[in-house]
Amino acid sequence: MDNLTLWLLFFAAGLGTFLIRLSFIQFHGSTEALIQRSKTILALLPPAILAALCIPGIVFSRPTSEYQVEPAQLIAGAVAILIAKFSRSVFWPVVGGMLCLWLLKAYL
Amino acid sequence: MADNRQQFWLGVRDLLPLVSGVLPFGLIAGATGISMGMTPEMVMGMTVLFFAGSAQLAAYSLIQDNAPFIIILFTVVVINLRFVIYSASFAPLLGPLKKRHRFPLTYMLSDQVYGLCSMPEQQKKSATQRIWYLSGVAISMALSWIFSVVLGVALGASIPAHWSLEFTIPLAFLAMLVTTISNRLLFMVALVSGSCAIAFQLLPYNTGFIAAVVAGVCCGLFIPNLFNTQDEKQGGKHG
Repeated sequence: MDNLTLWLLFFAAGLGTFLIRLSFIQFHGSTEALIQRSKTILALLPPAILAALCIPGIVFSRPTSEYQVEPAQLIAGAVAILIAKFSRSVFWPVVGGMLCLWLLKAYL
Repeated sequence: MADNRQQFWLGVRDLLPLVSGVLPFGLIAGATGISMGMTPEMVMGMTVLFFAGSAQLAAYSLIQDNAPFIIILFTVVVINLRFVIYSASFAPLLGPLKKRHRFPLTYMLSDQVYGLCSMPEQQKKSATQRIWYLSGVAISMALSWIFSVVLGVALGASIPAHWSLEFTIPLAFLAMLVTTISNRLLFMVALVSGSCAIAFQLLPYNTGFIAAVVAGVCCGLFIPNLFNTQDEKQGGKHG
């Protein structure tokens, strides 16, 4: 992709993102019914999207052009899940998972 | 006036601990862009225009895979769809504001802003107090995000490859995933979506990602019907 296309992409994505953020704020007052109807789907989207984003990256080593399961990453992911359940933050699971990955890579 | 200023700084103060999570994310966003051969101007332009970290990271990997323009754009929009929820939540607060206040505050809405400003103790405050608090959180969040990416751009090439820093990205999403799962239904949705993402891994143009999300959501719409019929039989009110 050349630089001009990339800039175009960034502007389009930025505009799209802003319109998403603006959606209900702009049409405040006339959207109550729509919010109610789409609530179920909106609530289901975050776990679906986040899982689809992270699970392949955890299970397989990069580049993911072929299925190559990476056990060290799986263990690091499990550690991150445990810490996340405990701390409800993003920072500590990442730190714990990375430390675990480095230890496993150094000693296996 | 003094009270408004106090609310603003309260928002700034409450955001500070969250910077620990923003910083590594921003470092990665900056360093990844540089490692892909983008100029610092492009990385910063992308950061300011997107103003959405997860979408930016997803866009990076799609650009790397040479995915078509429309697929990247669609993916970014899908990832950012969660902002619709935030938009709906803050509509009563920000909707009545003048454009010159409404648009910038809307532009800066993020997970962190949503998280802090929708806490029960904030709900008790007056609308003016809440707007000032939200401004404090949103502005300090925006500054710390942009600063983190600048730092990532500066450090970019000097981070060794064998540290596997890119693994922090799926880890961060995994941690966010854990925090979004608040009941068994959402766990099932994540399980189905994650499994499908693995199964559809080799589909071209990252269509596997969209297919996995659709499968997860469909499953989430379908499962409660099963539970509800069971509940009605038992006369319970679970799920």
